[in-house]
Amino acid sequence: MMPGPIDVLVIGGGATGAGLLRDLARRGLHCLLVEKSDMGAGTSGRYHGLLHSGARYVAKDPLAARECMMENRVLRRIAPGCIEDTAGYFVATPDDPDDYADAFLAACSASDVPAEEVPVAQLLQREPALNRAIRRAFRVPDAALEPWQLIHANLADARARGSAAWAYHRVVAIERLDGHLLSVNVVDVRTGSVTRLAVGFIVAAAGAWAGQIAALAGVDLAMSPGKGTMLIYDQRMTDTVINRCHQPGDGDIMVPLHTVAILGTTEIHVDDPDDYEITREEVAGLVAEGAKLFPDLPRMRILRAYAGVRPLYQETGTPTGDDGRAISRAHAVIDHGARDGVDNLVSIVGGKVTTYRLMAEQTANVVSRKLGVSEPCTTADDILPGQELGHTYWLGHRLAEHEQAGGGDADLVCECEFVTRSMLDGFLDANWPCSLDDVRRGTRLGMGPCQGGFCAFRVAGIVAERIANGDGTPAAEGGQDTAALVDQALTDFIRERFKGSRPIASGRQLQELWMVSGIYSGVLGIDSLPPAQPPHLEGEESSRDPR
Amino acid sequence: MIHADVVVVGAGLSGLTAAIALAEAGATVQVFATGHAATHWSGGGLDIAGLPGVATPRAGLERLSRIAGHPCAILAADVPAALAWLQATVSPEGLTYLGDLDTPIQAVPTAIGGTRRAAILPAAQASAHNAWAPDERLVICGLAGFKDFWPAAIATSLRRPEVWGEGGRPGRVDAVTVELPGLAERHNLDALVLARRFDEPAWRDAALDAIARAVDAGGGARGPGRIALPAVLGLDDHATVLEAARRRLPLEPFEVPLVPPSVPGVRLFQALRAALRRNGGRIQLGAAVIRVDVERDRVVAVATAAAVREFRVRTDALVLATGGIAGGGLIAHADGRIEESVLDLPVDAPSVEHWLNRDPFEPAGHPLEAAGLRTDDELRPVRLGSHEALFENVRIVGSLLAGQRYLRERCGDGVAFTSGWRAAASLRPTEPVALVGPASGRHEGGHR
Repeated sequence: MMPGPIDVLVIGGGATGAGLLRDLARRGLHCLLVEKSDMGAGTSGRYHGLLHSGARYVAKDPLAARECMMENRVLRRIAPGCIEDTAGYFVATPDDPDDYADAFLAACSASDVPAEEVPVAQLLQREPALNRAIRRAFRVPDAALEPWQLIHANLADARARGSAAWAYHRVVAIERLDGHLLSVNVVDVRTGSVTRLAVGFIVAAAGAWAGQIAALAGVDLAMSPGKGTMLIYDQRMTDTVINRCHQPGDGDIMVPLHTVAILGTTEIHVDDPDDYEITREEVAGLVAEGAKLFPDLPRMRILRAYAGVRPLYQETGTPTGDDGRAISRAHAVIDHGARDGVDNLVSIVGGKVTTYRLMAEQTANVVSRKLGVSEPCTTADDILPGQELGHTYWLGHRLAEHEQAGGGDADLVCECEFVTRSMLDGFLDANWPCSLDDVRRGTRLGMGPCQGGFCAFRVAGIVAERIANGDGTPAAEGGQDTAALVDQALTDFIRERFKGSRPIASGRQLQELWMVSGIYSGVLGIDSLPPAQPPHLEGEESSRDPR
Repeated sequence: MIHADVVVVGAGLSGLTAAIALAEAGATVQVFATGHAATHWSGGGLDIAGLPGVATPRAGLERLSRIAGHPCAILAADVPAALAWLQATVSPEGLTYLGDLDTPIQAVPTAIGGTRRAAILPAAQASAHNAWAPDERLVICGLAGFKDFWPAAIATSLRRPEVWGEGGRPGRVDAVTVELPGLAERHNLDALVLARRFDEPAWRDAALDAIARAVDAGGGARGPGRIALPAVLGLDDHATVLEAARRRLPLEPFEVPLVPPSVPGVRLFQALRAALRRNGGRIQLGAAVIRVDVERDRVVAVATAAAVREFRVRTDALVLATGGIAGGGLIAHADGRIEESVLDLPVDAPSVEHWLNRDPFEPAGHPLEAAGLRTDDELRPVRLGSHEALFENVRIVGSLLAGQRYLRERCGDGVAFTSGWRAAASLRPTEPVALVGPASGRHEGGHR
């Protein structure tokens, strides 16, 4: 719980909110972050995993490109444990215009993005799955960035300095008196209990949901959420980030991340950031474009599709049709004092995970000025907690640790991603009560080929065992509730995974889905479990949208 | 070149049933399969027609047989004879199935603390199906270190009356976890490892005594009760293990089937394979069909990829038992095309936008489940929308048959063994076929 008055309430537990909490805490402010779901369950956890070099933006958005490269350097220093330094290449396929490639190096240079042309043969030797017809290749300092670890490292630093962060707390009301916000009501979505928080200042770092927060404060902020769909492949067909050398478009980037590779993205305007669907047509379009980079892509196995909603914003509010790429990827700090006559509300919109720290710094500067705080930003100076080892986790580390443990509780709960019993227990100890989806984000459990078919019920069983043995604090009293809670966790998890399976279901992955359905229905009788009622443990999205 | 009267492709319940019945009738039979089939992830019972709301398999069968285009519309009359034959076929291999078409369908507990509707079960599971006395106790017995059976979770869930549905339920549900001898240092215990340990007489006796002590300590044999154990009571010597468990445990034990590898399913596969070999049939796993040779409307040879060369068998008949989408007999392509993997036969399937429901737990099941091949009454594949057989000497069996919703209707096992049995009956009076001439057509098999 949070002792004392709250200087600043940060709304939104994505990368920006977490970075802002850290920044403000390091300036000596006493802050609370509230997130309506799990930390990083929104757009920050639903992107392609790219640490931008900025090269994607050099032609159209040089400022965004410059900021990306600056922050790329900073993150390599402060968060090395979240980064796999894969390097990245921009490749000109026969479908890409010559003039773009011709101008590419100069454009990179103008935005201070280091880039060099490399012989195509050299790249093909390194990445043999690439299209042999590639004509030119440029190397840039792209990398893979793991968002959830990054968010939790930022929160850990803020907590160590006396600030707090609450997951599963949704803002339901903001009390305003004339031009000043007095208090905020937050509901714990797991229990339904409401807390009133007196606040000095509010920052909406709610991304695509920023408009909803502004509306609670009586302020009009028109967001233009843009859905980006990505496909997860079951293998790393490339060990480097590969981009098409053209004006950024659909299906033109592949990012290797941990055990998988992610093909991104589409860009489709949506009206409601919580209500969208991924269609088979979108998937087919992505694969067709991706095949221009990797010709065998149509024969490779897709584990899942997912989508994130970009927090795009245009001050004019003019409709942009479906082409969200026309809106800048750069961010904006909106001071609602000057704009709307509310003196203690700021929104931070736009941006991307790569520039989260810069966005937080610029927002914190505005907040500090308004609060009369003169401490400077120090977030680029020190390495984040838990990052001291300085290398990314990869599956091999888990195997090595598993072998070293050599017994004890080294049992594998999730075979696909090497999640051991002790890792799971550690996560549950630190995060209970939590959902299976939280376990997934925290440990990668259920992210492999079976999509949780073989491990989800194990976690449900382990959770029930812990409650029965008094090892865990039950989220609800009494055995009936425990059973309902475990059922709900299991069925929610399967629903959420199915949502990502449905638009890509074909071939081997459909065969696997069919087998898992056969086991759950035929052998385990999942349909006999009574439907549970909310409030319960789950991610926000599945409660609103069982698709 | 080798000749077989019949080649069967697929080694699940339907393919092995057909193969055994043909071998019994004196045919030479060769089974090819890419690998193990649905037996290895099934619960080991025989679901014939356990759809919601029906009291017995016979009543369910009656209902399914009235659905136009359902395999049971063709097969229902043969189910009693096929079931009796199957029970008699696996019984000499130590695998006894209890129940018949008039056995009431009852809720039996599952490994996540739910229930499933079942009537015909292997002896090791059958006592779960007996009616519960009001004061009867159910002890869920887990094994320490085994990660696919969590007794506290199961017991907590099974204490809720609604999980059991309309029928009876135990008056009380308890959970115990037993440390079995010599397993403390073992990790990643799976069901097959445990089942093989139970096959060892000395270890088995010690393990059963440990279970008996734990159950006694938790309230013991006072009053009526039963023990639910994970389905690991022996693999090769299962009948002996089950008999020993009944003798040494204070309460009547029953097995609860688990996620794969399913020991009850492996036992069924092994019993069927033994019955096939007993009757002179041959079986080869790891043998994908790469080509089928055709003359007019007859299949005349089947080629598989064996080690470094093609292995070709001339044959008078082909039984396709390759399974549906889960088994790999049907391949659903990303563009919405569904391909039959051996002969590229026409597939009756919903269009791609209707394959899957939005809700994975939609009670009616996904429309794609019903995808499959259409046949005439003799199970020959036909052109869609007609009764014209495409191949005179090919028979389609098991989950490759269109029109079944096996998840909801719980009819997959009945369709499998009855269609296998029917295919065998239809091919049995082997017509003399002259081994003539070169193949007039070739189908590049995509079976994988």
